Amino acid sequence: MSLVGAQILLAFKAGRAFRREGSNTVIPNPTKGAIYLTNGADDLLHFIWRNRDTGELEEDLILFQFDASFVKVSQSGSGRVYVLKFASSNQRHFFWMQDASSTRDTEFVENLNGLLQDPDFHCHWSTLSSTGGAGPSSRAGASSSTAAGPASTSGFQATPQQLATLQQILMSGGRGAVAQAQAPDLSLTDILTPGNLLPLFTQHPELVPSLFPHLPPDLPVPPSADALQRIIHSPQFRSAVSNFDQALRTGMLGGLVRTLGLPEEAGTGIGPFLRAIQEQADREQDNNTMDTD
Amino acid sequence: MSVDDETSGWQLTESDPGVFSELLKSLGVPLIVDDLYSLDADSLAALQPLRALIFLFKWIPTSSDSTSQRAGTDDPEFAGFFAHQVVNNACATLAVLNALGNIPSLESGPKLSELLRFSADMDPQTRGLVITGSDWLREMHNALSPPSAFSLDGLGLPKKAEEAYHFVVYLPVMGALYELDGLKPHALRHEAFDDSGEGWLKTARQVIEARINTYPVGALEFSLLALREDPLPSLRSQLDRAQAPGQSPAANELLAKISNENAKRERWAFENSLRRHNHVGLVQGLLLALAKGGKLGVAEESAKKAMKERIEQRRARGADMDEDE
Repeated sequence: MSLVGAQILLAFKAGRAFRREGSNTVIPNPTKGAIYLTNGADDLLHFIWRNRDTGELEEDLILFQFDASFVKVSQSGSGRVYVLKFASSNQRHFFWMQDASSTRDTEFVENLNGLLQDPDFHCHWSTLSSTGGAGPSSRAGASSSTAAGPASTSGFQATPQQLATLQQILMSGGRGAVAQAQAPDLSLTDILTPGNLLPLFTQHPELVPSLFPHLPPDLPVPPSADALQRIIHSPQFRSAVSNFDQALRTGMLGGLVRTLGLPEEAGTGIGPFLRAIQEQADREQDNNTMDTD
Repeated sequence: MSVDDETSGWQLTESDPGVFSELLKSLGVPLIVDDLYSLDADSLAALQPLRALIFLFKWIPTSSDSTSQRAGTDDPEFAGFFAHQVVNNACATLAVLNALGNIPSLESGPKLSELLRFSADMDPQTRGLVITGSDWLREMHNALSPPSAFSLDGLGLPKKAEEAYHFVVYLPVMGALYELDGLKPHALRHEAFDDSGEGWLKTARQVIEARINTYPVGALEFSLLALREDPLPSLRSQLDRAQAPGQSPAANELLAKISNENAKRERWAFENSLRRHNHVGLVQGLLLALAKGGKLGVAEESAKKAMKERIEQRRARGADMDEDE
């Protein structure tokens, strides 16, 4: 059994699952693996399960067109357990999807079934970007390289997710440095302070009701200046301001600010955003003056 | 929104009693979570009946706690409910499930009952996978994190510090105190406890205090949460009985307790509505109001000044550190 000389039609991360003896319960096995569908050197269609830790091809089934199908086990709690079954026999092979995100499960399954029905089937991919899946062969490459996880010394095998957690914690300092490198000259968090806003509400009470539509719809109290004060002081609001400030600093919010009725230019930084707001305010006030004239 | 590998679509939630209590409500469990500011006997007694304590602390990978002497023994044969934490950001919900799964004859909604039943015979790793693979649970969990109007993923922003928090559950299971930590391979068994007096809480206090003391002063950031029975139904029925003639002092005390509880629920509901809300519209509205009030320019200038001072302070601190080295 070998992948050498085989043409990989499709590959994705999946583990095996086994039926518990004497019951209908299917238990996912934690071993990391991947499913490959290949056109073998023998010119036959192979369904291969490869252990991503050892690299061994532990399962190699030769399939005939229309005979096999890969379907979801609807009773499974996680919703990610699938069974490979055959029209010609009662054989069942269970698998569970191991891509960290379940969003692409359906896509893999549709393409797999497409290929099981028709070896010339062309796979459809909705996204080829984020998970690095440019094509079947490069996906397979990516899977096997991530599989070479280091064994932990404690005897407790860390899961890829746990390793990722650690990695993320270790890296977060470094990533912070990147974002801070663009030394900003001001922050929205220093503008939307209670110190700036509360005097505004007292001096211009007429501006307060215009803010009510922006308050949470499920606020347990009626919108009021008091509720607004509570919100401005809240850690949730402050962290939202800080997140927006950070996102704006990337200069990549052109699309978002358009939905706020601002020119795309406003999404390129804090300065441009504030200028656009000032222009919006001037424009609206001009209109009001004209209306009253 | 893009979903990255480490989180599997689980968003970061705040470790706040209001968030936990809302999750418990969604799960159909008649329990709430309260902050626990002290482990002394009176504080604990006030929160009875207590089901579990959740200890959360800043996870410092360098100060490996395997090197220090830790109480308790690994229990690979643990017959209760224990799931590994296999996904980032799910830690809070996982800790709650590790507690709920061990509460005998727990009243709960159909989905949770089914999940607990379905995963009953699994090993901790598989159970963790099944839990974090449950779409409905992830949705309940994510319901209390802010919606992303903009995707911050992939923009190289520093991640929030909260994700470094680590959750450990302490609770009584079959006569002994257990410690359930989803990042550990096994459940940890502490001493059997004496049912008289404070029972398991006495053992829990000793274990938690000892654990806190293994960290150098100031090196550990932690908080404690109490998973307890919702006191409102019992307070209300006590009030019904106390409102009989001649019982007014007791009734007044109960009324005060009930109104405290209700005020707390109102605060939770208020904060949770803020957690679920996308505040970008409000940010724009407030800036617009400042501009219309003629105060945006001034605010901008003072914000620039504040930033400049902050950068200078940081530089000064950085310079100090260089001298130290």
